[in-house]
Amino acid sequence: MTATLNPPKPIRVWLTPPGPNGWKTIFLLEELSLNYVFKSFRFDDVKKPPFIDINPNGRIPAIEDPNTGLTLWESGAINQYLIEQYDTEKRLTFDDVINRNLCNQFLQFQMSGQGPYYGQCGWFQHLHAEKIQSAIDRYSNEIKRVLGVLEIVLSKKGEHEQWLVGDKMTYADMAFVPWNSRLSEVLMQLWDEVFEGTPRVRAWHEKMVELPSWKRAMEHRARLMDEQGLQWNGVPKGIETFTEYEEKIEKGEMKYD
Amino acid sequence: MQRISQLASHLTKTHPKTFLRNFTSKMASNNSNIHLYTVGTPNGIKVSILLEELGLPYKVTPISFSKNEQKEPWFLEINPNGRIPALTDTLPDGTPINLFESGSIMQYLVDRYDTEHKVSYPRGSKEGYEVNNWLHWQMGGLGPMQGQANHFFRYAPEKIQYGIDRYQNETRRLYSVMERQLEKGDYLVGDRATIADFACWGWVAAHHWAGVSLDEFPKLEAWLHRLLERPGVEKGRHVPSPHTAFDMKNKSEEELEKEAEKSKAWVQAGMKADAKK
Repeated sequence: MTATLNPPKPIRVWLTPPGPNGWKTIFLLEELSLNYVFKSFRFDDVKKPPFIDINPNGRIPAIEDPNTGLTLWESGAINQYLIEQYDTEKRLTFDDVINRNLCNQFLQFQMSGQGPYYGQCGWFQHLHAEKIQSAIDRYSNEIKRVLGVLEIVLSKKGEHEQWLVGDKMTYADMAFVPWNSRLSEVLMQLWDEVFEGTPRVRAWHEKMVELPSWKRAMEHRARLMDEQGLQWNGVPKGIETFTEYEEKIEKGEMKYD
Repeated sequence: MQRISQLASHLTKTHPKTFLRNFTSKMASNNSNIHLYTVGTPNGIKVSILLEELGLPYKVTPISFSKNEQKEPWFLEINPNGRIPALTDTLPDGTPINLFESGSIMQYLVDRYDTEHKVSYPRGSKEGYEVNNWLHWQMGGLGPMQGQANHFFRYAPEKIQYGIDRYQNETRRLYSVMERQLEKGDYLVGDRATIADFACWGWVAAHHWAGVSLDEFPKLEAWLHRLLERPGVEKGRHVPSPHTAFDMKNKSEEELEKEAEKSKAWVQAGMKADAKK
């Protein structure tokens, strides 16, 4: 299906492979079959040139589009740009005022409600050296709350329109996939427990991870993780904890062949 | 959608606290019927500042956190996320629209009403995309992280030093990113104040509450006051209630502690209620 105007020159996507936010953009690029190329780099270099000159915020992803000369960071803003610029047939968005604004609304909910809290929960659950139960509980409860809100939204939709906006999948639905795919790790629960009480959210999510575009994105991730010798949590093999990894980066002790 | 419209119009008539803003000025044409549900927090005043900047007439219903009004069924109909702000309006063809998430509300408002691009850039322009970039940065970074600093520094039932340090440091880091951007110009993007600036303004104004100083960020502090000189910002920051962020600096830590105590009870009750669901 070619529902898009494909950019003649590849869009450069800067990312470090472990984090979920880069895959939000790759998922969309794959789903739209757009011309792009990876600029995969190590977490060690996220606050250094050349990346810091591309994104002063020192976070991934960022894109450079040589076709328009635009540099953008913040996954949500990048994805909206890709949709406006290249999804000319509105395959993953809508043209009318209400649905266009609703897509934006749910993307913003993902950016402000899902991403930060899943991220903090993952941090306290896995990456922080000391176990602080009240912080883990705070963010786990928030995740359950967000899943509950999504369940309510889907429960108000008809059986054949189980999408956040209108009757088809949009970039807003897709934006939730990378973090929801990590729920089991982030909450340290089995998949069945994760979705207790939110069957519609589960069905909605599982429908999207079956897409060839998501599967291709995850194949790329596995390859790029392997290329950098990273464990599942983003810490290089041979290093125990994230704190140790950060200390080594700080001291300039990370050496690669 | 129709049910929401009926609910909203029912509410306008019956909610005792609803008041009108700018209705003496020229009424916006084409069916405009803006109704803002808000609290005087950084996320709430973003929208009232923008509405005042654009000189639009709008109805305001203040939401009471202490009464947990944001979780009442009538409000959840408008925003299933149970957060403020939320906004309802009527499109030119008469269709009602209701939105939540301050960032998406602001984009809707400039798309529809800022046709002269006083506080925005045309859709699809380079600057337009850059404004969106900074808006997302505020929504996904500055807001959530400074909010966590507030939680651990002011509201958490037990004092966790690591939590306080983590989020105050992250807030400082985010301020430094803004500081570097403001070294290039007076506003975050281009030659004018935009929704990206308004989105960040209330958070930066509340820096003291989060326990972060602006001393290391002279450009940011100048920007804060530059925006404050705008009549729209001045009016909008006091909706629906007087903006007190700047008064916090003149209070002793004991007085601030008392302020926090007032909110602690409902913050923690809300957390418990959410946890039970």
